[in-house]
Amino acid sequence: METVFLSRLKPLFDVIAGQRELYIPHHEEGHFSFARYNPQLHQEIAFNELRLCQPVKQFLFPLREIAAVFPDPVESPVVKPFAVYGLKDCDLRSIQVLDKVFAEEEFCDPSYLKRREQMLIISSDCYNPAESCFCTMMDGDVFPQQGYDLNISKIKDGYIIQAGSDKGLMLLKENESLFADVPHAAILERDDNRAQARRQSEEILTDYQFDVPVNQIVNNGCESELFDNEAKGCVECQACTRICPTCHCFYLYDEKQDDYYQKMKIWDSCVRLDYATVAGGENPRKLLTNRTLHRLMHKFVFFLDRYGIQMCVGCGRCIDACAGESNIRDVLKKLYDEPKTENNQKLKNGKKSIPTD
Amino acid sequence: MVKNPYQPINAHIVDVIDESSTIKSFVVKPDEPIPFKTGQFVELTLPGEGEAPFTPSSSPNQSDQMEITIMKAGRVTSLLHDCKKGQPVGIRGPYGNGYPVDTFTGKEVYIVGGGVGLAPIRSLLLTLIDRIKDFKRVVCRFGARTPEDFIYKDTLFGQWQKIGGLEIKLTVDKSNGQWDGNVGVVTTILKSDDVDIQNAVAVVCGPPIMMKFASMDLVEKGFKSEDIYLSMEKNMSCGIGKCGHCMLGKYYVCKDGPVFTLNQIKEYPDIWD
Ligand SMILES: Cc1cc2nc3c(=O)[nH]c(=O)nc-3n(C[C@H](O)[C@H](O)[C@H](O)COP(=O)(O)OP(=O)(O)OC[C@H]3O[C@@H](n4cnc5c(N)ncnc54)[C@H](O)[C@@H]3O)c2cc1C
Ligand code: SF4
Ligand code: FES
Repeated sequence: METVFLSRLKPLFDVIAGQRELYIPHHEEGHFSFARYNPQLHQEIAFNELRLCQPVKQFLFPLREIAAVFPDPVESPVVKPFAVYGLKDCDLRSIQVLDKVFAEEEFCDPSYLKRREQMLIISSDCYNPAESCFCTMMDGDVFPQQGYDLNISKIKDGYIIQAGSDKGLMLLKENESLFADVPHAAILERDDNRAQARRQSEEILTDYQFDVPVNQIVNNGCESELFDNEAKGCVECQACTRICPTCHCFYLYDEKQDDYYQKMKIWDSCVRLDYATVAGGENPRKLLTNRTLHRLMHKFVFFLDRYGIQMCVGCGRCIDACAGESNIRDVLKKLYDEPKTENNQKLKNGKKSIPTD
Repeated sequence: MVKNPYQPINAHIVDVIDESSTIKSFVVKPDEPIPFKTGQFVELTLPGEGEAPFTPSSSPNQSDQMEITIMKAGRVTSLLHDCKKGQPVGIRGPYGNGYPVDTFTGKEVYIVGGGVGLAPIRSLLLTLIDRIKDFKRVVCRFGARTPEDFIYKDTLFGQWQKIGGLEIKLTVDKSNGQWDGNVGVVTTILKSDDVDIQNAVAVVCGPPIMMKFASMDLVEKGFKSEDIYLSMEKNMSCGIGKCGHCMLGKYYVCKDGPVFTLNQIKEYPDIWD
C-alpha cells in the first residue's frame, strides 16, 4: 500500500486530532504511557522506541463498563472516533487476540465492536526491544506486519508513513499536500533500523533458542515440579493478568440504580483464589500451583488450539510488572531445559502441595 | 445492530413449587418465548442481586414458560428461594450444547441421577417420553439422601412409573422407616442391571462425587467413554465463551458443554472438583 514521507508529525496529527480523540505516548519516569493529544498545547510528539507500559486493551475492553440496563434496555453510549499512536507489532497482535474472543465468535460483544470500529490504529516500528521482550519467539516481529491503519517508521530526518488499510489510505489521500515522496535512501535507512532492532532482540534472546514450538514445551511440561516453585514466587497480586494486553477474563455483576438495574462487566483474573469456586466451596484450582499452570496453559496451549493464533504476544509486560519472582519467559526456558523424565503424576491427580489458603 | 448477549429478557415468576427442604421449582414466564434444547442452560438474573446458571427442568416443547429447579446453595440461590409469585426476573440464553437426543434413537438410554441433578434429567426425560417408542428402552437410576429429598415426587412415584418402555429404580442413602426400596448410594443399584452395552448410551447428572463414581462404574460395566454423557458444573459468568470462568482444559463448559462425553474430558485433572 501507499507509503509517504513526512518531516514532522505535527501537521498530520493536528489533522487527525481535528477528526477524533488522539492518544499519543507520553514519557514519564522512564516509561511511556498514553496521553490525550491537544494540538493547542504544542506537546512534543515522542517516538516511543519500545511498547508503552499500558496495554492497548484499555481502549477496547475497559476495566469496568455497563454491559446491560434493564428492565428497559437502553442503547449503549455512542463511542466517538478515536486514534491511538505508538502501538507496536505486539500490541497489534494483542488486538487480534481480543478480536477472536469479542468480535468473531457466535456472540459478539457490542461495546467492543463499537470501539473497535471507531478506532484508528497508528503503529510504529520498535527500535529498542526491552530486556523482557520475546515477541520474535511468539510469531511477532520488531515492526508491524498487519492490523494497522497507518504505520510510522522514524528515520533521521523524518518519518515514513505506510497505510495498512483503506481507512489509512484514505487519510493519506485526503492530506496529500502534507507528504513528500519517500527517498530511496529513507527506505534503506528504515530497513537498517529494523535489522538493527532484530539483532538487538536476537541478542536478548540468545539463551532462549528452542527447537520445539512453545505450545509443546508448555504442554509437555504441564506436570513439572517447576510450577510449585512458580507458585512460591507468586504473591497473587494479579498484576500479570491486568497488564497483559491479551488477558480478557471478566465477570458480570448486578447493581440496582434508582429506578432500574444494570449488569456491569469488570476485569477479573484467573490468578484470584475464588475465580473458579462453585457453590459449596469446591474449587478445581484451589492451589496456586494449579492457577499458575492454568494461566500458562491458556496462554500457550488452549488459545492456540482453539483460535489458531498465539495468545501470548511476547511483550514482556508481565515480567516487568511482577511483584514476586515470576518470569514467563524463564518458565518457558526452564521447562524446555528440564530433563524429559517420566514426570511425576502429582498435578494430574490434583495433588500439588502448596496450600495457599 | 448486534444483539447484546448480556441483556436479559424480562420475565417473572408465575409459580413456586416446594420440591424438598432445600429445593424449589420456579415456573418462569418470559416476555418473549425462549426456545431451548434439552440440556441447554440459562442465566437467571435476580434484578440488582446477581445471576446464576440453571438448566430448565421443563420440556423444550413448552416455550411460553419454563420451569427452573433450584437448590439453595449460596447467595443468589438463597435470595431466589425467598422469591414469591410475581417476582420480576431476567433470563439470558439458552446457552451451551444440550443432549444429542437424536443420536440416542434406537438405543437403550441409561440415566443416572441424584439430588438437583434431576433437573436437567427431567427435561431430558420429558423429551424422551414424548417419543418413547424411538428408544429401545429408557432406564432411570436415581438416588436421594432420604425419601423426602426426592424432587418431582408426584411424577416420579406416580405417572412415570406407569409409562411403558420407561424403567425407574430409586434408592436412598438413608431410609425413613417407610421406604421399601433400596437403601444405599445410587451406584449400588447399577451393578445388577443388564444393559445391551453395544447399543446403549448413559447420561449422568448429579453432585460431582456421584458423577465421578457413577462414571467409574459405568466404564466398568462396559460403557465406552464416548457413550457416557456428563453435565458438567463449573463456575460461570458470561455463559457465552468469553469471560474464562468455566474453562475445563481447553473447553469452555458454557459453550462446548455443559454436556460432555467422558471421553472428551477424562484426561483433565480437575473435572470432578
Ligand atoms: C450449566 C449449569 C447448570 C446448572 N443447573 C442448575 C440447576 O438446574 N439447578 C440448580 O439448583 N443448580 C444448577 N447449577 C448450579 C448453580 O448455578 C449454582 O448453585 C449457583 O450458581 C450458586 O449460586 P449462588 O450465588 O447461590 O452461590 P454462591 O456460592 O454464593 O455463588 C458465588 C459465585 O460463584 C458462582 N457459582 C457458585 N456455584 C456455582 C456453580 N455450581 N456453578 C456455576 N457457578 C457457580 C456464582 O455465579 C457466583 O458468582 C448449574 C450450574 C451450571 C454451571
Ligand atoms: S503473557 Fe506476558 S508477555 Fe505474554 S502477552 Fe501477556 S503480558 Fe505480554
Ligand atoms: S461462563 Fe464465561 S466463558 Fe464460560
